[in-house]
Amino acid sequence: MLLGVVVFELTGRGAVGIGWRPEIDLVVERLDGVGFVEVIAENVCDGHALPASLRLMRERGVPVVPHGVSLGIGGAERPDAARLARLASVAERLDAPLVSEHLAFVRAGGMEAGHLLPVPRTRAALRVIAENVRIAQDALPVPLALENPATLLSWPENELTEGEFLAELVALTGVSLLIDVANLHTERVNHSADPARALAELPLESVAYVHIAGGELRGGLWHDTHAAAVPPAVLEILAMLCERRVPPGVLLERDGAFPPPDELAGEMAAIRRVVAGAGVRG
Amino acid sequence: MSGASESDREELARRQSELLGALIAGDPVPAGFDPGRVEVQVLSLAAKRRDGVERAMPGLVAALGPQRWPSEFTAWARSHPKPAEGGSRADAEAFATYVEGMRVGGEGAVQTEGAVQTEGAVQTERRRTWWERRRARRRGGDGGGWNPDAHY
Repeated sequence: MLLGVVVFELTGRGAVGIGWRPEIDLVVERLDGVGFVEVIAENVCDGHALPASLRLMRERGVPVVPHGVSLGIGGAERPDAARLARLASVAERLDAPLVSEHLAFVRAGGMEAGHLLPVPRTRAALRVIAENVRIAQDALPVPLALENPATLLSWPENELTEGEFLAELVALTGVSLLIDVANLHTERVNHSADPARALAELPLESVAYVHIAGGELRGGLWHDTHAAAVPPAVLEILAMLCERRVPPGVLLERDGAFPPPDELAGEMAAIRRVVAGAGVRG
Repeated sequence: MSGASESDREELARRQSELLGALIAGDPVPAGFDPGRVEVQVLSLAAKRRDGVERAMPGLVAALGPQRWPSEFTAWARSHPKPAEGGSRADAEAFATYVEGMRVGGEGAVQTEGAVQTEGAVQTERRRTWWERRRARRRGGDGGGWNPDAHY
């Protein structure tokens, strides 16, 4: 599905966006050249007006993508109808072109993890998750994109690589992808997974947009904190991806240790240079 | 490929419950997992909960002081999952109840003068009205109408 053409037809390929957060709302609305933004879907509260700066972005015609974190589409249970209805309603309120979530589980056995956890990449789990994705797609008014999460753990029973698993999921369901290049770096550091191999396995024509963020190396492991500048190693993975295919959009995520506006603008400019450079070469 | 069978779902549920039990409920590390990585994940999840509790009940954190926060929360969180309902607010309430229990001889009781003083401050924090808590959250950067449990 050439979702990107549909989603970002106003901005064209290679739009650069930033995650809208209440802490940096004024910064985001004043940054030049913001092609699209993302808002954490669970943060858009029922019965409350949309924050003024998000309304402003909508008035300017900047696409706003709800990004969910609590659906748990990689769980053993079928996705909860009430959660899906809420996600659908947020998408409608924002007039969103699509919604995104994670290939992850967040609850099991009556317990809530409070964060995204990896799924076992087995054929049996793929069957379950493909069914979950179809249930979600049926309940949502717009296309769904799934993101590769950052992980510290891996399952001993894994049969497929992450790239293979996502490619199979796309083939089975037509779901779109949100590829986080920082998480490909995380997989390289934490699980010795080659990002070039992952990019070769992934169906890049199904990528709706890309995430990029900084993190922190602690005890030899990469922690995806979104609280630091994007390191060169992650920008290099973005360049590798863009050389294969320039995605419809690339979105910078920053969730902590917020820098001055100039630094965020500089990070977006660096991302833009990588995307444009690939366009020239490609 | 045909659809998922109930046995596919049951097996996935079993394995995910085993892992999550080890991560947040103090259960043994399931077969095949690297115990070192499980420990890193345990601490990472506890740190995320800790951030939520700090936002939901900043007075509790202040009352406990650097000697006891965050170390006691991290230790407690290993075997006390976050409540399924109520978010970080409920998590903070559950931890506050545990801290109070320490004074009166409940689970993990320690009788120290510091614990007694802390208990008074915890009581004060729990008696705060919702708008006082919301004001405190706003000072901490969370706006009204925003879910303090958001995680990215």
